[in-house]
Amino acid sequence: MLNEALVLAFFVIGIQLMVPIVMAALGEAVAEKSGVLNVGIEGMMLIGAFATAYMGITRNSAGLGILAAILAGCVFGALLAFLYVNRGTDQIVTGLMFNIFAVGLTGTLHSLYLAGQNGETLRGITIPGIGSIPWIGEILNKQNLMLYLAIAMAFGVWYLLNKTWYGLYARAAGERPLAAESGGLNVLRLRYPAVIVGSVLAALGGSALVLATSGGFVPGMTAGRGFIALGVVVLAKWRPLWIMIYALGFGLTQGLQFLAAQVPTLQSVPKQFWVALPYLITVIAVVFAPGSTYPAAVGIPYRRAGA
Amino acid sequence: MTVETVAAADKMETPVWVRTLLSLAGTLAAMSVLVWVLGANPLEVVEAIVIGALGNPFNIGQTVVITGILILTALAAAIPFSARLWNVGGEGQMTVGAVAAAVLGIVLPGTWSPWLLVPVVMMGSMAAGALYGAVPGWLKARFDASEIVTSLMLNFVAASLAAWVIFEVYPEGFVQRTEAIHVNAELPRPIEGSLVDIGIIIAVATAVIAWFVMRHTRLGFSIRAIGANNPASRLSGIRTERVTVQTFLMAGAFAGLAGSLIVQGRDHSLLQDFSANLGFLGIGVALVARLHPLWIIASATFFAVLRVGSNSLQAGAGLSPVVGEIVIATFVILLMVTKVIKFRYPESVDA
Repeated sequence: MLNEALVLAFFVIGIQLMVPIVMAALGEAVAEKSGVLNVGIEGMMLIGAFATAYMGITRNSAGLGILAAILAGCVFGALLAFLYVNRGTDQIVTGLMFNIFAVGLTGTLHSLYLAGQNGETLRGITIPGIGSIPWIGEILNKQNLMLYLAIAMAFGVWYLLNKTWYGLYARAAGERPLAAESGGLNVLRLRYPAVIVGSVLAALGGSALVLATSGGFVPGMTAGRGFIALGVVVLAKWRPLWIMIYALGFGLTQGLQFLAAQVPTLQSVPKQFWVALPYLITVIAVVFAPGSTYPAAVGIPYRRAGA
Repeated sequence: MTVETVAAADKMETPVWVRTLLSLAGTLAAMSVLVWVLGANPLEVVEAIVIGALGNPFNIGQTVVITGILILTALAAAIPFSARLWNVGGEGQMTVGAVAAAVLGIVLPGTWSPWLLVPVVMMGSMAAGALYGAVPGWLKARFDASEIVTSLMLNFVAASLAAWVIFEVYPEGFVQRTEAIHVNAELPRPIEGSLVDIGIIIAVATAVIAWFVMRHTRLGFSIRAIGANNPASRLSGIRTERVTVQTFLMAGAFAGLAGSLIVQGRDHSLLQDFSANLGFLGIGVALVARLHPLWIIASATFFAVLRVGSNSLQAGAGLSPVVGEIVIATFVILLMVTKVIKFRYPESVDA
């Protein structure tokens, strides 16, 4: 039967699983708003996850793990930005290839250095006041730093896109690059930081995944979360608050498989169904995303006049 | 789409074959550095790969079998990519094909003659893959749902389906595989003592058929027209929605056939982790071949050598077999950087 402890555990897991999707989706939203479709976030999450697990295992430090993920996000984000923006390679194909690259890179490094090891995880943070509220407090007390970082990121991304000159210009580069350029903006220079920031957020999403589970790395552990994030961005119409809400929905759906394993009435359904459910729901959600259209210039490499 | 070779502006630039060789050299250089940084000797790695793939008849057999599978998964990417439809669901379509082959190979009467059973099971795989592939195509045509997201998500759904069939429906004791399919459903192995089955012939024939369809049929023309300019082809009377679904049906059938080759040809049952990413690698194989069905045969051979050869790296150089993934991704990206692989876009979104 459903008891209170079980329901609480379900929400604890659901929120933990929400965090990586929120981060990746926020990163994707920033890149897309500037006109770059970054399909490579799945691979970026894998790389961030590996970086965090590596530092957690070899240096016993979750903090260094987070820093390593940020650094990796910067380095590989700059590489992607160079390809997408400078070289104008096809964004979809480049992103797909980057994902395959990341599978190869993290898989190779994992088998050499980290196979089968667990590392550092983050402890829950108790917020005075909130922590003592029944139910909500019990759920939040089990959440680590990454949840609060994700919430801060959502506000940060909202502020960046809507309240700063950079956000305004970047959105212009994503909607009407030629007009933006005529108005004196440098489209290429505007897209660069968007891709890098987006990559760092995705890498931190991978980091959150590691820090919430065993602290270790498992090849392919992102399991399509980057692509779920792509769907979440469309569903949420690029609005950070809605990204959090939809990501929570997906986190809870992923949490269902743990709930189903404990509840006798749900055990008659094959457990593989619960594993497949979040992906099925993503398909349905993308199909029925009402009236959601990408920024006009997404996916099209920008070429300066005469170049 | 059109991966175009040389646009007018590039006429004075370096020829394509030079840029292709440069990209290959760049890939090898990058890999050498990586392998060296990881503490192995690049030359020894190359040697291990070549011996691992071609060193004895057994390994050559493995390489030929993988080549056939890669040809088909590459076609499953190449045909839709030619219409700028991003089918990244080849892995799932292949999985569903493999599941169909295993189920049919177990439930159909084993007393049927191979002349009947082999093609029936194979067509079942193709039909399953085609229908599964049609889903993202139809969702794209009907609801304009992003086929990248939907086709990729369906890979995970297919993996769950396969796990269910392996562990719950037809489990084989404590081994992570289903029961074996009937002997009469297995693809014949014409060469005595070799793993090579007739799958490679089927795959090469399929590539030729795909080339013919793309070059000489109305459907192929429509696919290429949509890739070159979707709005214009719609205006000129091509029913783009219908072609989209047909394209995905065809791609899914190719991927499903790859699943049949794995089950009926290579494994004779459905194994957990049977795919080892071959569906995904097909995307890279197709791109290196610049989406040309006949070049895919060469490209698939190259990457099959790499894949089978790198299986021996674990023992030889201490490296994981997935280094092949790094090679294929680096190569494709360099081919794009050097503009050997080029895509055409609508003129401007500002107009």
